[in-house]
Amino acid sequence: MPENIIQVKDLKKDYVNEEVVTKVLYGLNFEIGAGEFLAIMGPSGSGKSTLMHILGFLDTPTSGQYIFKGRDVSNFDDDKLAKIRNEEVGFVFQTFNLLPKTTVYENVKLPLLYSNLGDHDNKVKEAIKSVGLLHRINNLSNQLSGGERQRVAIARALVTSPSVIFADEPTGNLDTKSGQAVMGILEELNNTGHTIILVTHEQYTAQHAIRIIKIIDGHIVSDEKVINRKSSLNGDNFLK
Amino acid sequence: MNNILLPIKLAWKSLFLHKGRTFLTILGIIIGIAAVIIVMSAGESIKGLVLGEFESFGSDYIQIEIKVPTTKKNSFANAGGLAQGIQITTLKNKDADDIGKLGNIKEYGGGVMGQGVASYLNENKTVNYMGSSGTILNIMGIDVASGQIYTSEDDDQLAKVVVLGSKVAEDLFGNNDPLGKNIKIGRTTFRVIGVAEEKGMSLGFNYDEMVYIPLQTAQKLLLGIDYLMFITAKVNNPDTMEATASEIEDLLRQNHEITDSKDDDFAVTTATEALEIINTVFGGMTLLLVAIAGISLLVGGVGIMNIMYVSVTERTFEIGLRKSLGAKKKQILWQFLWEAIVVTLFGGVIGVVIGVAITFLISFIASQIGFSWDFILPIQSVIIAFLFSAVVGLIFGYYPARRAAVMDPIVALRYEK
Repeated sequence: MPENIIQVKDLKKDYVNEEVVTKVLYGLNFEIGAGEFLAIMGPSGSGKSTLMHILGFLDTPTSGQYIFKGRDVSNFDDDKLAKIRNEEVGFVFQTFNLLPKTTVYENVKLPLLYSNLGDHDNKVKEAIKSVGLLHRINNLSNQLSGGERQRVAIARALVTSPSVIFADEPTGNLDTKSGQAVMGILEELNNTGHTIILVTHEQYTAQHAIRIIKIIDGHIVSDEKVINRKSSLNGDNFLK
Repeated sequence: MNNILLPIKLAWKSLFLHKGRTFLTILGIIIGIAAVIIVMSAGESIKGLVLGEFESFGSDYIQIEIKVPTTKKNSFANAGGLAQGIQITTLKNKDADDIGKLGNIKEYGGGVMGQGVASYLNENKTVNYMGSSGTILNIMGIDVASGQIYTSEDDDQLAKVVVLGSKVAEDLFGNNDPLGKNIKIGRTTFRVIGVAEEKGMSLGFNYDEMVYIPLQTAQKLLLGIDYLMFITAKVNNPDTMEATASEIEDLLRQNHEITDSKDDDFAVTTATEALEIINTVFGGMTLLLVAIAGISLLVGGVGIMNIMYVSVTERTFEIGLRKSLGAKKKQILWQFLWEAIVVTLFGGVIGVVIGVAITFLISFIASQIGFSWDFILPIQSVIIAFLFSAVVGLIFGYYPARRAAVMDPIVALRYEK
């Protein structure tokens, strides 16, 4: 059993809007081990995105505990959250979220601008190489295909060597083939020891993970190991 | 180092992406800065012009003028009092002679002013004349181009002789030689014994339009008075001029039996005092104009704020992304603050260049049409312009930048790209 990287205890989240309280998460409890490949599944409005935001330090819980690498981060202020986001996690978004009119290189470098890590140039090139886009390094982000953009986003998530990579519907805006490629990269990252937390509503995509937590209406309804795990890895597909 | 350079680089890049908008934004700043430079520089040039003329008088003389008691010690208020028909008749030739006996006085002379119609054959011309001793002409630096200046004997004998200003000579005589000719002023006939050198205007006083007459001749034959309107005295030692001025005041009070200084019917002004007044007046005027130019900078600043708000809203997604990748509040704040500062400083540079160019053009044109106008660029105007534009950027950029800094990354990321 690997060491726990994430512990969630009775995690609740309410949204208050003009004195109307909307409960989103109802006291969740689970643990995530280092090196896991976890998929969080659920329909729209289930609270899976809110959970990912809290786990990714973009939001804080209303009550309960979120313990990351042994530290209770539930009550971190904005700047502490920003720091831990920068150092510990990488995000891959459904809509890629690259800066337009900006080169692949500059996009991947972005998280390093806010970190204390040195040797930017090598780290950026290594990250771009690992997603097989070195030949596109000086292209502008808007000159790339959807699949390529998502690979740039993955490189950006990798560049700070984070503990956890969050992927929020990473294949949602991609055709099947590009989606496969992206999932293949995530799998490979997992194989090399990265902890991956994938948020999706597609069963097919979730099947790439090792474990699936299903959420409906803010409750965990199942937490199981994947039996028929799918793989998009087929040798020389990505690393050129 | 990276912490300082990064936001500047980001700012520059973002501004360069929106060249047209950036230019329009900084136009207000450019105009404001250029206006500040032009006003300050032109103010200095005009002051130099006036002081230059002033100094042609020399800075070692003391001027005593008649004054309506209780008015301020200044020629305009004084003239107002005199214009109301109040005649001050207490300043006498004896006062001038007594002043001349003071230790520090080198030369002195009394004078009167009047106006009359000068005529030669069929030519008529209204002229101002000054009745004065030859010494005053000396003190004022008036010299003859031809002929000679009247002597103290001429004065004592009420000689009916005149020295003409160059313009008066030209208007009355054209190309003819005026020397030895007779002209009339009022009903008195004078012989022209000299024509003054062309000297031009100084402090509103046109030397070339004057006619110079011996003092007592003007007093007795033209004006019918026995008093003086002013006394001019040149000192030996300019360093003790203020003390000499006080001596003169005491002397005149004694002569005029005045016990309280507010009853003074005269005003004693030293050249240094007059210089100070000019400096104060120009300083105040320049300050006022700079303040007006400063308003245009403020308006430019509002333009900056407006465009920064647009920029922040437009780049909500970018802000959200940067925050989600670990940018802290302060880092976002400074990114946008630097953008505002860079854009205003950039405007400042262009404004300074344009301002200096226009100032240079003004001085060039002014000297072409005959003013002794020097190109003066006060270095503090450039510094003020720069500092002010940076401060404008900082102040007006702060609120939009703060708005960017406090954005919730989740909300910002959802913002439509």
